[in-house]
Amino acid sequence: MTSDPNDPARLPPRPRPQLARRDLLRGGVWLTVGLGTAPLLAACGNGSSGQAANGGAPYELARPDRPVTLAIKDSNPPIADGLDPETGGTFNILNYADYMAPGVMKDFGKEHNVSVQVTPYNNYDEMLAKIRQPGESFDLVFPGPSVLSKMVYADLVQPLNHSYVPNLRNVWPEFQDPWYDRGAHYTVPYTIYGTGVMYRADRVSSVPEVGYDLLWDQQYSGKVYVLDDRQEAIAMSLLRNKITDDINTSNADDVKRATDSLIQLISLVKVKTDINAYSEVPEGTATVHQCWSGDVIAGQYYLPHGQTPEVLGYWRPQAASDYVIGSDNIAIPKSAKKPVLAHMLINDLLDNKIGLRNFGWNGYQPPLTKLSATYLTDQGYIPKNLANSVVLRSDFAKGLTFYEVSPSTEALWQTNWARFKAGA
Amino acid sequence: MTVTERPAVAEVSAPIRTRVPPWRNPWRRPYVLATITWVYILWSLVPVLIAIQFSFNDGRSRSTWQGFSRQWYCCNEGSVFEDPSMFHALRNSLILGIATVIVATPLGVALAMGLTRWRSRASAVANGISLVPLVTPEIVVGSALYLVFVNLYHFIPLGRPAMLLGHVTFSVSYVLVIVRSRLLSIGGEYEEAARDLGANSLQAIRTILLPLLMPAVFASAMIVFATSLDDFVVSQFLFGSAENETVPILLYNAVRAAPTPALNALASILLVGSFLALILALVVLRGRRRTGEESALETLADWG
Amino acid sequence: MPDKPSGHDRATRRLWPALALPGTFWLIALFVVPFYAVMAVAFSGRINIFNEPIPAWNPLDWEFSSFGTVISDSFTPSGAYHEVWVRTAIYTFWALVICVAIGYPVAYYTARLAGRRRGLILALILAPWWINYITRMLAWVNLLQDDGYVNKALGLVGIPPHSWLSGSSFTVVWALAYGYLPYFIIPLFASLDRIDQRLLEASRDLGVGALRTFSHITLPLSRMGLVTAMVITALPMAGDYYTNTIVSGSPNTNMVGNQIELFLLEGPQKNIGAGLVLLLSLVLMFFMFYYLILTQRASREAAR
Repeated sequence: MTSDPNDPARLPPRPRPQLARRDLLRGGVWLTVGLGTAPLLAACGNGSSGQAANGGAPYELARPDRPVTLAIKDSNPPIADGLDPETGGTFNILNYADYMAPGVMKDFGKEHNVSVQVTPYNNYDEMLAKIRQPGESFDLVFPGPSVLSKMVYADLVQPLNHSYVPNLRNVWPEFQDPWYDRGAHYTVPYTIYGTGVMYRADRVSSVPEVGYDLLWDQQYSGKVYVLDDRQEAIAMSLLRNKITDDINTSNADDVKRATDSLIQLISLVKVKTDINAYSEVPEGTATVHQCWSGDVIAGQYYLPHGQTPEVLGYWRPQAASDYVIGSDNIAIPKSAKKPVLAHMLINDLLDNKIGLRNFGWNGYQPPLTKLSATYLTDQGYIPKNLANSVVLRSDFAKGLTFYEVSPSTEALWQTNWARFKAGA
Repeated sequence: MTVTERPAVAEVSAPIRTRVPPWRNPWRRPYVLATITWVYILWSLVPVLIAIQFSFNDGRSRSTWQGFSRQWYCCNEGSVFEDPSMFHALRNSLILGIATVIVATPLGVALAMGLTRWRSRASAVANGISLVPLVTPEIVVGSALYLVFVNLYHFIPLGRPAMLLGHVTFSVSYVLVIVRSRLLSIGGEYEEAARDLGANSLQAIRTILLPLLMPAVFASAMIVFATSLDDFVVSQFLFGSAENETVPILLYNAVRAAPTPALNALASILLVGSFLALILALVVLRGRRRTGEESALETLADWG
Repeated sequence: MPDKPSGHDRATRRLWPALALPGTFWLIALFVVPFYAVMAVAFSGRINIFNEPIPAWNPLDWEFSSFGTVISDSFTPSGAYHEVWVRTAIYTFWALVICVAIGYPVAYYTARLAGRRRGLILALILAPWWINYITRMLAWVNLLQDDGYVNKALGLVGIPPHSWLSGSSFTVVWALAYGYLPYFIIPLFASLDRIDQRLLEASRDLGVGALRTFSHITLPLSRMGLVTAMVITALPMAGDYYTNTIVSGSPNTNMVGNQIELFLLEGPQKNIGAGLVLLLSLVLMFFMFYYLILTQRASREAAR
């Protein structure tokens, strides 16, 4: 990290008057709150020093060097100890598509006599839109560190009662007390992954040193995909074009340049966006696909009959310090109708055996100490030519991570992302 | 279309029985038009038939035929009746379609009667409003409803209730148009006669008007059912969570993820359902050619 | 007739408004109010920590700055949404051209020349109405895959395979035309069907050629049907966002509808999404009014 995006010195005013105007118009500074969001209103005092450091966000923005303890509020307590699990009806999971093994869900449903349903989203923006729908209730959700503080702040998730989750001790120690949620008050880890490029080894003759360049290569036109995720896509462009290695930048110029480069992809290779590298590459619809490392491992199960994993390839930055890594967490929405059951499913997912089964289906590593990289490779879950898709603990210590940024920085990224999506 | 334009040589065409170029002969058979029509019909239906064919594919591919199998319909992991989400979506679609018919039909019929027979300035306004949904793009209807449910009508949660309200809203106008065209063609004489014979207005409606309207009511109910099954946009904006997913939403999401022939199977089942509704409609309406869809569309064409 | 004096006059006068009331109320609550909600969101000047607008229900609180940005970003050539508007216009235009080129001959043949087969052809043309739209698109996705039947067929005549589904505008335009053609043909059919056969026979008996009969009688008489068909296909097409997503999925082919979906369903800046909805409605309303003026003039001419 070269610079902290929320360094007070870097925040207002924006370097370009035109952008400052746009920000103003977009409402970036109208950070006022109302209508049924009382907790938000309460904290909307102006200009305390703490808020300036948070870029206007009325909650703390966690950083590895500035860990955050998410307070447990009286108004939003965890469930009591020793409750009986709910039974009957549906158990609603808000999650990425194909992100939890159907077998795991089915068995859980059978055991507790519920029908488990997944409402899919493509990215956190969509997830937040869904979870905030009035009257909607979900029992489990999978937020990453970059959206957690505000979800807690807005009472979208409830604190965990650790007495239901003894398996938390199975996870890597750093995840038992993570920087974004000291004491794991609201979340437990689900999976870890890095972001790289998956490609068809049988169609790509040589992989450049910076594998991202594959996406800008015209010979794969029509078969090039970037992740349908504004953070991942724009960050990739920031890194590839060496604009900055601060992937949480609030510098409008940097974000604009990165987006402009993404926009080039539209005319250059007719780029597409989705998050289905695990099926698109094996099935051949995609030749080059920005992807998460878990997609690569899952990809082998989507190969057509008669093809071996040798046709797949994965590129990741050599140095761990250039590797974008991330983790998805499990949390229980405030609106959950089956919170006890939700705790039980969380505990199941942190069980070594169930965790392995889930991994065997979705390809995303759970940060369970027992399921180390060498163990997974030895067990034959990862083909030799794709061994680099395993996320190591050293990657995790040094890699680049998406942090929670202020709402105005977020608006900046969203606006640029919309520009890309418009194909302008 | 047929041949390239030629400057007209003479004002009056050549006398009949002399040799005329084919494009000037009014009695020749319309081969070109017939060809266009049949090619169009093939083009519009053959892809669907092929999609149905692939629902019976003995393999995961939806583009390479690997032999016949029923595995995507039943009893294989991932088949329509084994995959809970597919079965669920099918159920949701049918429930929503039926509920929409039940609410929209009476509402629309009453509205049609009221607006046709009640002449005042207010009715003219109501008339105008009721036709606008017909020509408003679904995305406008869907997003407007979404914004109102999320921001104002908090007491109506997204999901089935909101979807039902949304589907009824765009369906009411169909019923209105179809039933009103029938009402206009019936005229007011029958009710007048009934009232002269001592029936009050309600009785006149029940004993005279409704029976006369029945074919139109039935046709509009069928159309409402089909449109509700077909609707994607309004549903996508209002469905809330997977619990309320309908078949079009599921198909749309799955096409973009990792589709299998089970999708084709699901689509085929829906198709058979729609055709059953159509056949039912045809059986009931047999011999009354000009009441159903056509008159609705004629009214649409006449609108204004 | 309601305005004739009769014993039940007063009761009748109250009955019709009463019948119209529920439907009217429904449409006000679920069509007019939602539209107001769109405005309240589009003109909101305040946002919360999720960058979501807080609707401004009171018109005095309306802020037009974000709507102003939407307009300038839409209509200045360097604006972020300029490209999607241009694309929407171009796609709609070409898809409409295809609809006219194919739809008119088919409707004409079916209505006027099909003879014995008329019922069959009509049924086949109507069939797509009963097939789910997404299913019909899914069918093409099957066919157009790299190893799909289309490429295989082209391979037989020596044409190298083409990636149809890789962000091709050509595919999107044809998919739109394919999807909307049934809705185009039917109103046109209805209006062609209504042309008095005797007029055409008279023309024919006078020895007027087919082309001249067409251009002097059929075309003018079906003009309103043609315009109606164009309006009821072009308006939804302009708001489409799922057809191009299914057959392309590239930002290369995104239309206004995709931007609306992005902002309303996937993104938090709903004021921009609502602004785009409003703008789309305004643009389409312009065409609607033009159409209304046209139809009114036509009916006045007919009355003369």
